[in-house]
Amino acid sequence: MKDGVMLLDIAQTAVDGLMVGGLYATVAVGVTMVFGIMGILNFAHGQMVMLGAYVAFYSVTTGLGFWPGLVLAGLSMGLFGLILERLVFRHTLTDHMAGLTASLGIIMVVEHLASAVFTPDHRTFDPPLAGSVRFAGMTLSAQRLLVLALVLLLVGSFYLFLQRTRFGKAIRAMGQNRTGAALVGVQISHVTAAVFAIGSAMAGAAGALYGSLFAITPYMAAAPLMKGLILTVLGGLGSVPGAVAAGFLLGLAESFGSRYLSASFRDGYGFVLMIVALLYFPTGLFGVRGTARV
Amino acid sequence: MKTPALLARALPLVGWLLLAALIFVPPNAGSRYLVYIGTLIALQAALATSLNLVVGYAGQFAMSHAAFYGFGAYASAILINSAGLPFWWSIPATMLAAAVVAAIIGYPALRYTGGVYLALITFAFGELARLSAANWQEVTGGPMGMRITYAPEPLFGFNLATGSGMYWIAIAMLLVTLAVVYFIQRSRFGRALIAVREDEVLAAFLGINVMRHKLIAYVVSSALAAMVGTLYAPFMTFISPDLLSVHETISLVGVVILGGAGTLAGPIVGTFVFLGIPELLRIETLYRLIILGVVIVLVVLLMPQGIVGVANRVVKRWRRTKPPSMPKAGS
Repeated sequence: MKDGVMLLDIAQTAVDGLMVGGLYATVAVGVTMVFGIMGILNFAHGQMVMLGAYVAFYSVTTGLGFWPGLVLAGLSMGLFGLILERLVFRHTLTDHMAGLTASLGIIMVVEHLASAVFTPDHRTFDPPLAGSVRFAGMTLSAQRLLVLALVLLLVGSFYLFLQRTRFGKAIRAMGQNRTGAALVGVQISHVTAAVFAIGSAMAGAAGALYGSLFAITPYMAAAPLMKGLILTVLGGLGSVPGAVAAGFLLGLAESFGSRYLSASFRDGYGFVLMIVALLYFPTGLFGVRGTARV
Repeated sequence: MKTPALLARALPLVGWLLLAALIFVPPNAGSRYLVYIGTLIALQAALATSLNLVVGYAGQFAMSHAAFYGFGAYASAILINSAGLPFWWSIPATMLAAAVVAAIIGYPALRYTGGVYLALITFAFGELARLSAANWQEVTGGPMGMRITYAPEPLFGFNLATGSGMYWIAIAMLLVTLAVVYFIQRSRFGRALIAVREDEVLAAFLGINVMRHKLIAYVVSSALAAMVGTLYAPFMTFISPDLLSVHETISLVGVVILGGAGTLAGPIVGTFVFLGIPELLRIETLYRLIILGVVIVLVVLLMPQGIVGVANRVVKRWRRTKPPSMPKAGS
């Protein structure tokens, strides 16, 4: 009987890890894709998560409901990403120092404006699904299962979009070779803007999902961003499948690590994984984009 | 002579004048507020100057500067409170510990060109350090922070435990940092560092050990940040995990970039513009930080070389267009 309990425990930990990992992956996809296409490491990506969470919060508290809030979070952050791309990142294209610095400036503006407008208080809203589901002897939080399903849907449909559509093909072509893609007729500036907007929209949606599980504050962006950056390295800079795979891997590592090793070191597992990866697999899980070693 | 050129030539000089003002005004003005602000500016300028070593001279993006600053504050406080070390001995101990940590995270990050990995890893490290300070309750006091009751011991008969005593320590730290950067800049090592910044592959081709140069710059800069942090604790009498937050690093990056990365006077000018002027005008911190963010973006888009960098360029242009004043040799 003890084995059964143990197995259930493992299964529950695994579901938890997959859910958290899926959230990380949804954030990381935007970071890694923008890096692959534009050569910019956008640290302000985490701000989309925070703003998305606030959109969902206000949508739930004003009675609009969670589902419109989720859609609104995605759409508004997509729009915001589009504006940022036009105003700032278009001008720092492929110059990663300038792009990174500009994104730092944007963090300062967005985060402190948010703290002025929304106040630094912790906010939570009621998730659409309350209670828990009993399945094969496991007790699982219904909201966590819903989040898992939604992130799988988001990441899965995005992957299909990349692989199966003409536009996705253009994005992948640009990731491989910018000039080459331009030569075969890809509208580079459109694709760049679209990539930025899609990445931001996914981060906004991830923010709405974050908000349904954790407290919302103007300063919540750092943690998801940190995870997103770790995944970007683990998965290989610029690789979308790598980031997704690394996301689930990290989620599982954190969940099992904090269940069976030490919960207070939870945020350290990813960091250790990243250091080890950089030492021994510097191109990441699926990375092909190598930088010169000097 | 055109006025912009004159102005531009004067800017690095402005940096030194500001430094002189920082050293001579607060102790003689008889105002405790000015001494307090002077200490704050000296600490920030020292931090910015040390960050400039990595960002400006080595051309690498380190996002962990505030983490090492906070590390310095926490580590020295713990060493003094728990191990009973005197304040002055805690400084080298803390710097050594910071250097070891910086080497451990710098090594895997700096083996590749481009600087992206360092930005990624150091950001993650900074966040990890902040979370550790917030969660490791028994040692750091957790999110509520730590009250500091010790003060620097007298040195050579001078009482340094007062506000003006710590002001002099801050000035000394700023001068030490400036001296380190100055000597690095003038040394063979510094020139090699700039070569690495301009073109890593070419620098490697010329026989410069790129990885070692970048790593040393990062380690020295982090150790200096930890040194400044050791004074922050007794000066503020309170430290909390917010000290390690990434915003502190972003402000510093902003200061370095606005002032002019890779110039000696730049961080001093930047610190005064960012910290000194708003403090004296009593602009609220929140708005100051928002304006700082806007300024960072604008500087990146419009004048990537910063105030002092733009000044130098204007000077060069002015020199080029200036009619030759010397009689032509040989003709």
